[in-house]
Amino acid sequence: MSIATTMTPSRKKGPISLLTMLCWSTAILFFLPIAWIIATALKPKNTVLDIPPKFFFMPTFQNLLDAINFSNTLAYFVHSLIYSFTSVFLAIFVSFLAAYSFSRFKPAGTEFLMFLLLSTRFVPAAAFVIPFFQLFNLLQLKDSFLGLIIFYTMFSIPFSVWILKGFIDGVSTKFDETGMVYGATRSHIMFKVILPQVRSGLVAAFVFNIIFVWNEFLFNFQLGGLKTYGIPVGLFTSITKGGQVDWSFVASIGTLYVLPLALVIFFFQKYLLVGLTFGTVRGEV
Amino acid sequence: MYDINLKSLTKSFGELQAVNDITFSIPKSSVTVLLGPSGCGKTTLMRMIAGLDTPTSGNIFFNDTDVTRVPTKRRNLGMVFQSPVIYKGTSVKHNLELPLLSEKLSSSEIAKRVNDVADLLGISGDLNKMVEELDNGTRQKIAVGRAVARQPQIILFDEPITNIDITAKLELKRSLKEVFSRLSQTIVYVTHDQTEAMTLADQIALMQDGVITQCAPPKEIYEKPNNQFAGWFLGNPGMNFIDEEHINLSGTEITSSLFIQTIEAGAKVSKVKTLGVRAEAINVSSKQTPNSREARVIRKSLGIGGQYLLDLEYGSLKVKARVTHQVGRDVGESVWTVIDSNNIIMFDENSVAI
Repeated sequence: MSIATTMTPSRKKGPISLLTMLCWSTAILFFLPIAWIIATALKPKNTVLDIPPKFFFMPTFQNLLDAINFSNTLAYFVHSLIYSFTSVFLAIFVSFLAAYSFSRFKPAGTEFLMFLLLSTRFVPAAAFVIPFFQLFNLLQLKDSFLGLIIFYTMFSIPFSVWILKGFIDGVSTKFDETGMVYGATRSHIMFKVILPQVRSGLVAAFVFNIIFVWNEFLFNFQLGGLKTYGIPVGLFTSITKGGQVDWSFVASIGTLYVLPLALVIFFFQKYLLVGLTFGTVRGEV
Repeated sequence: MYDINLKSLTKSFGELQAVNDITFSIPKSSVTVLLGPSGCGKTTLMRMIAGLDTPTSGNIFFNDTDVTRVPTKRRNLGMVFQSPVIYKGTSVKHNLELPLLSEKLSSSEIAKRVNDVADLLGISGDLNKMVEELDNGTRQKIAVGRAVARQPQIILFDEPITNIDITAKLELKRSLKEVFSRLSQTIVYVTHDQTEAMTLADQIALMQDGVITQCAPPKEIYEKPNNQFAGWFLGNPGMNFIDEEHINLSGTEITSSLFIQTIEAGAKVSKVKTLGVRAEAINVSSKQTPNSREARVIRKSLGIGGQYLLDLEYGSLKVKARVTHQVGRDVGESVWTVIDSNNIIMFDENSVAI
């Protein structure tokens, strides 16, 4: 009896722990480059390029402090935060309104309109970077937050509408109609009845778009300027400071750069899985 | 309270006429059940009363006020849908009081209404539970409670117990009956289920292909259907129809192989095309009785309440009869049947009762 009880769990445990190990090692493999960047940022400057690499070292925060204090780093950071968060928030708001309309009013040609919306993302960015540059010059939007926010909002809307429409479709129209019967206005129904039920979708759309905007380099470089450059451009322009590549500096900026996104994703990850399935796992309520 | 008057109400979806020129009155403070098969237009009709669909033509009046273009939120309605609409992440109490919070009511009045309605529906013990913990039947009670607590003039029910599992269904039906008997509101209830209609209705409005074919109290519509559709749709099984090849018309009299007597039909005899007889109107006996017709049992199945359903054959005429177990005849054996002339309904060539 005692043998049986001790043996059964261990037999069960075997394959599970093997699978767990496999999962962990895959995850670690994917995390290695980031771990490497963080480790490099924490290594004393003179040991960064050692061969064989040093795995054990006394961590130092000097590189991070140097990077923060270097010229415009902080300003770039603030710029990045301003344009990415503002534009993605705006995009989510506009997309929620659009997705609600597509889902509930079903204007003629909804499917084609949805296709058109996403088609703006089919074109390679390089194809329209010059036209945008000229347009922004003409409209005097170059090197302004307004210009960058308009651009990134526009760029974030299509995908957000797609995600959110899936979620709103999953909420029965009976919720809207019950609201109407009880005297609610359309905006009350949208923001007080439907919105709380598509929270996962909002978070998913937010995270996907913030990752994109936060990492975007080309348009920030072309349409921005000294007043609005974000971290990616800042990193690119200062990568060869002092005539050679300063890997400690690059790694420090990289570490700081990853941090906000990592925090966002860490805190919202429970919504992300649902978001990745476009809300389709939700049944009609 | 409001009565609801429909004037030449029509709703088309492209080619399809879901509701076809209905002029009809729903009396106030009563329960009117719109009954009919799927696709007969009953839900569309209700949605137009609610203002959730706009009529293609025609008008809707609450009392004498034309509300055809009045938005839903200003019609002073309550409505319960097929799937329970509940707000997750909140308590039962909050679900019940939500529509009340936006009205100018004192908190004691809100609490009173919520408690009253919870008592009425037997969910007082669940008030502080989260709605996620409850089964579908209780969730639908919440939706009913929410409609009732607001004390609107009209309450609409759109197949509220169709999506509920079978045990909770009976319980909910009982609760609804109880609620309806206490309310003085005008209630419109849509269903395709005739037993639900029979149980709950003060009057049944039977719908077919976008029109109301008959409106009468349950007993009357069952016993005196004014067309063949009503006879067939209500009752389980539906009414037996005897077509003209099994009817003999001579002078003013009707005879048939189904019954032995002669029916005196007067002048209307020339219009008779079909006769209708309910399965339970056929009195079946295992022994030959005076004035009976002999029939052969060709099928026997167990019905509700220990009754049997017999398929009987009179020569080439086949009908269904409902009998108690005492009759005790089996397939292939003979039985003798008698039908009271009062239980035979005559229909003309347009399937309308005469």
